[in-house]
Amino acid sequence: MIRLLLALYPATWRRRYGEELAQLVDDSGLDFAATLDIVRAGLTERRRGLTQSLTGGTGMLVGPAYRHPGRLAVLALVVLAPTLVFVVGSLLAYQLGVQALVGPMESANALLNGQRFLDLVLVVSPAIALLLAIVPLVRLDLRSSEIGREAVVGLRLRAANVAVGLVALAIGGILLWHIVFESVMELGS
Amino acid sequence: MEQQNPNDPQLLLMISLAGGPKHGHAMLLDVQRFASVRLGPGTLYGALSRLEEAGEVEALPVDGRRRPYRLTDLGRQTLTRRLASLQRAVETGLARVQP
Repeated sequence: MIRLLLALYPATWRRRYGEELAQLVDDSGLDFAATLDIVRAGLTERRRGLTQSLTGGTGMLVGPAYRHPGRLAVLALVVLAPTLVFVVGSLLAYQLGVQALVGPMESANALLNGQRFLDLVLVVSPAIALLLAIVPLVRLDLRSSEIGREAVVGLRLRAANVAVGLVALAIGGILLWHIVFESVMELGS
Repeated sequence: MEQQNPNDPQLLLMISLAGGPKHGHAMLLDVQRFASVRLGPGTLYGALSRLEEAGEVEALPVDGRRRPYRLTDLGRQTLTRRLASLQRAVETGLARVQP
């Protein structure tokens, strides 16, 4: 029975205290009240363990991202890549006059023409990339202190994430400016 | 101000361990004797794990199948502070109810 009840606890807690709790139950007996108490405590530990695994411990709400900033920066770059290629290619072809890129960009534009989903992906990806790059830089702790519960926000700088975030911001800005400019021109004509 | 609950399991366990190292069952019996509070096994180990996490108690080598715990210096300081706070409340209360 106690083995079944111990299954309610997170594995790490069970490994550390499981044997001792089982021994205590052996010593003190397992009546209905004790069973309920173990179930309640097990669920509390499970909830606590889940919170910690989600938050990296100590109540950090963005923990998984905080623990893997490099991976998130790479993921942000992957998400941003199509828009980055498209925007940089367009700038080089149409603004700087790189003739070699005009053909491929015309093909790309023809492909995108009327494909609203692809359009949407290109427009939204800088925002998603920015979020993916920046979230690992933010640490949010919920603490219980003498004055009650408090939320503490911390920021850190990691070159790769900041660089990808700035690129995403720049690409998103250029794209937004282009969309607004095109809309104004269309309205004007 | 730190909130004090005289029946807080962590406080009761620290008081128990202030009398010397004990394993789980010994703590349970001791708390029942001095506070008339019967801690459930889950409550006891939940409180104990938090105290250990906070560095206020530490585990000693296993004795048979039981692992004793003892109060650390930090735990002793915390307990002293919490008891002093409770004592102020008790003394104030007694002074007010006694004629």
